[in-house]
Amino acid sequence: MSSELPRTLEHYRHAVRAHELSAEEYLDETRQLIERGDPQVKAFLHLRLDTARSDAQASNPSSPLAGAPIAVKDNIMMAGERCTCGSRILEHYVAPYSATAVQLLLAAGAVVPGKTNLDEFAMGSSTENSAFFPTHNPADPTRVPGGSSGGSTAAVAAGFALGAIGSDTGGSVRQPAAFCGVVGFKPTYGLVSRYGLVAFGSSLDCIGPIARSVRDAAIMMNVMAAHDPKDATSVKRPHVDFEAALQPTLAGKRVGLIRELQGLDVQPEIAAAMDMARKAAVKSGASIVDVSVPHILSALPVYYIIAPAECSANLGRFDGVRYGLHIDGRDMTETYSRTRDAGFGTEVKRRILIGAFVLSAGYYDAYYRKASSVRQLIADELDTALQSADVLLTPTTPTTAFRIGAVTDPLEMYKADVFTIPANLAGAPAVSFPAGKDAADLPIGLQLMGPRWSDAELLSSANVLFTALGGES
Amino acid sequence: MTTTIGLEIHVQLATRTKMFCGCGTAFGDAPNTHVCPVCLGLPGALPTLNAEAVRLATRIATALGCTVHEVSEFSRKNYFYPDLPKSYQITQFDRPIATGGSLPIVTERGARSVRLTRAHIEEDAGKSMHAADITLGGETLVDFNRCGMPLIEIVTEPDMQSGDEAYEFLRNLRRLVRWLGVSSGDMEKGAMRCDVNVSVSPDPAKRGTKVEIKNLNSFRSVKRAIDYEEQRQAQCLGDCTPIMTETRHFDEVQGTTTAMRSKEASNDYRYFPEPDLPLLQLDPAELASLRAQMPELPWEVQSRFERDLSLSPYDAALLTEERSTAEFFQQAIAFYDNPKKVASYMGTEVAKLLNERGKTLTETQLTPATLAGLLMMVEHNAISNTASKDVLPLLMDTGTTPMEAVRSLGLEQISDTSAIEGFAREVIAENVIQVEQFRGGKEAVLGFLVGQLMKKSKGKANPKLAGDTLRRLLK
Amino acid sequence: MAMIIDKETLEHVASLARLEITAEEEGPLLGDLERILGYVAQLSSVDTSAIVSKRPAMTELRPDEPCEGLTREEGLGGAPAMYDGFVVVQNVMGAEDE
Repeated sequence: MSSELPRTLEHYRHAVRAHELSAEEYLDETRQLIERGDPQVKAFLHLRLDTARSDAQASNPSSPLAGAPIAVKDNIMMAGERCTCGSRILEHYVAPYSATAVQLLLAAGAVVPGKTNLDEFAMGSSTENSAFFPTHNPADPTRVPGGSSGGSTAAVAAGFALGAIGSDTGGSVRQPAAFCGVVGFKPTYGLVSRYGLVAFGSSLDCIGPIARSVRDAAIMMNVMAAHDPKDATSVKRPHVDFEAALQPTLAGKRVGLIRELQGLDVQPEIAAAMDMARKAAVKSGASIVDVSVPHILSALPVYYIIAPAECSANLGRFDGVRYGLHIDGRDMTETYSRTRDAGFGTEVKRRILIGAFVLSAGYYDAYYRKASSVRQLIADELDTALQSADVLLTPTTPTTAFRIGAVTDPLEMYKADVFTIPANLAGAPAVSFPAGKDAADLPIGLQLMGPRWSDAELLSSANVLFTALGGES
Repeated sequence: MTTTIGLEIHVQLATRTKMFCGCGTAFGDAPNTHVCPVCLGLPGALPTLNAEAVRLATRIATALGCTVHEVSEFSRKNYFYPDLPKSYQITQFDRPIATGGSLPIVTERGARSVRLTRAHIEEDAGKSMHAADITLGGETLVDFNRCGMPLIEIVTEPDMQSGDEAYEFLRNLRRLVRWLGVSSGDMEKGAMRCDVNVSVSPDPAKRGTKVEIKNLNSFRSVKRAIDYEEQRQAQCLGDCTPIMTETRHFDEVQGTTTAMRSKEASNDYRYFPEPDLPLLQLDPAELASLRAQMPELPWEVQSRFERDLSLSPYDAALLTEERSTAEFFQQAIAFYDNPKKVASYMGTEVAKLLNERGKTLTETQLTPATLAGLLMMVEHNAISNTASKDVLPLLMDTGTTPMEAVRSLGLEQISDTSAIEGFAREVIAENVIQVEQFRGGKEAVLGFLVGQLMKKSKGKANPKLAGDTLRRLLK
Repeated sequence: MAMIIDKETLEHVASLARLEITAEEEGPLLGDLERILGYVAQLSSVDTSAIVSKRPAMTELRPDEPCEGLTREEGLGGAPAMYDGFVVVQNVMGAEDE
């Protein structure tokens, strides 16, 4: 990427406001990068570069995002653009309305170059489950970018956008951010509106920003965090300036390490990065505390009951009656079944079936009801742990990006979500930030989690460590 | 044979917008014109709960004597059907807004109280029209205007024992929902729908097999369906044919119930708490205020009319059909303290004219004051009762007062004895046969002669005076 | 050990979810589901007897004011079959209850 061009939102905005650069110029440069690089990376499912150029020309430098290119994951509705969710069942579907988060970004001056690739209906951790094609990690094209927001993180990592939004249900913003070497933030559940995000796990889904720096993520949060009357789970919170809240020090902060996660198998370089982060925290004035979340390892099975259960209901609307793929059968029942069987990929089918099973008569109590109770237990334990610590530090993933096609066992894929899932169960904010590279030069990501509604403080703490460990790559 | 009947009634709440979105609720507009991402189940849409729907539901639940739960929860009921866009309905399963309650009914068997199990709020599905109704072959047409409309579902205990009782229950429930402004209760417009569960058993201690009946479009259909089903089940029991637990469809034309195509082993709705809606928490202060402000209920007013005003059950029932009628009546008797006369007049003359005009009382210009005024004029012999019937239309159709109306029609009652005598002599002269009959002892004929005198006087003569005068002259 | 999910259960669940499972898909799916369900079943050993659900309540409800929706074309422009403003589907009389 051109060394003169700004590489963060923060610098871009400064340059545009100082008339050093115009939004169209930046978009033209970005376009070249996309046209040269995306045929290999395949971050985008659809591009809208001509329209984006006009949008850039019309943008206002004084607006919060000043015409910056921000990519949008293709499970978030943008009026007039296709919204495929990475699925054949919506291959030709055009959104008649925009998600609230998208409206806010557009009103703040964002320019959308295109919709990014994802695991089908956000189910997956590698973007290999996209019905169309996999996305390739810009750090190493033989490897996955992570998922399900792999297209968004790859786009930001490759310079195809200054920022992106994705969705995070069990780690789908944080994990790909870690694999691609960018920042991925999952806000507190209810802070950013879900209206217009195609639902996967309704009580778990969050829209979150993906960016090259923690400050950029904070800039995007200033635009996206707002109460939305169209989302009944959206919570009215006092106004916060996430960017202004960024402090350069961790003095007085307690950084917690979760006892029950210490024994887990983690790639040596990632363990080393954790060590460096610990040291950096202490250097910045924090104390390290040992906390216990006794049932944290139950988070995975809880998630793989609740998320499929909710998704089995959420995906019921894809029946070919009002929109999307439609394949005729001999009667309505067959039409539904044929349409859905042809339209959904294997992972989606697996999850729908698990979901229908755990909700069905005779199994509901043992599975779904039990999982809901354990979920509450874990959330309570996290709350307790977060009384003795201000933030909790963990790796984001047990390994760095694996090769495309290397993980075929679904259960093995699920188990890699061990660090990210707890935050979704508790509705707590969590951020992944880059923390160096491994021996194969693959990005490493570390995660900080905080109590609900501590989003600004969390980003501040993350920013300190992010800066200390090398900052934006 | 004991028949056991339970009802499941869906009442559409009279709100301006749907239960979970801001689409309008007007009935009868072009198909699929009151739609949005939420009620169409488009990807990414989310439900938001209508405050007024909650208010109306709470009002009706309170009136029904239910325990209204401060905290209730929404659930997803999952099944596939073309008129259900999300393939789940948002309803309340585990924690409904209300439980218990009852509704009184009166039939030939006497007065009873039908207990309720529960009441909860939910969204309606769209409307499907099947091939039988329209000209396309083998297809169904779906209109989503109705999809998302706010409903309260009321479930009764199986306390009813006949089609008549079910009919009365529905009538009284309809009266109540209209009384409280909660719903129009019009079954024809789909504002009230009813499914029935019937079982028949030879042993009153044991309940028979429960059969569900759907597709009932009027209260009368409900009664007819129950009556038919009673017979059918009794017959089955008689010839030892097993009665299947099933859902049957009522055929309006034949008046029979038929088995619906058998469903796969009972639909598993996989209910679970709706993650898109937090708990519904009602404000106890508002609930208390609602209870305190509850108006007198229709059957309470009805009893009071019978008990305190000595009205006949028939009149009391008629006057409490609609709240506006009862209020009108009460205001009228405040002016003219003769409940029986006012009730009778409202039930006959007023009702007749309303019928002719196809209007309701409040749609006319008649006021409690003008009605009372008219009846007082009759009481004071300012006009005859007969004449009043000519005055009433004027009061109804224009905003005029009884005095002005009477004057404009020239209907002031004639009580002038000499004038009446003059008419009487003419009547006697013109009706020789009847005069002879009367003189011969036929008392009843006097009525005819009075009638003739009234005719001559264009209804203005004082009928009592007319009778007395004729009698005197015929001696 | 008893299977958590056998072929019959899979077919039942698939039918509830309106998913037609082909013969080739069935074997692998059964295997995957058995393992996944076996994995999540470990939750049965967690003691949740003292757990109280803490779901939040709605803070404000939507006022009963009509707002602009979608036109028929915007909302149903992608429907496979329309007639006179209605969405057309195969006849479903008697197949499901309401």
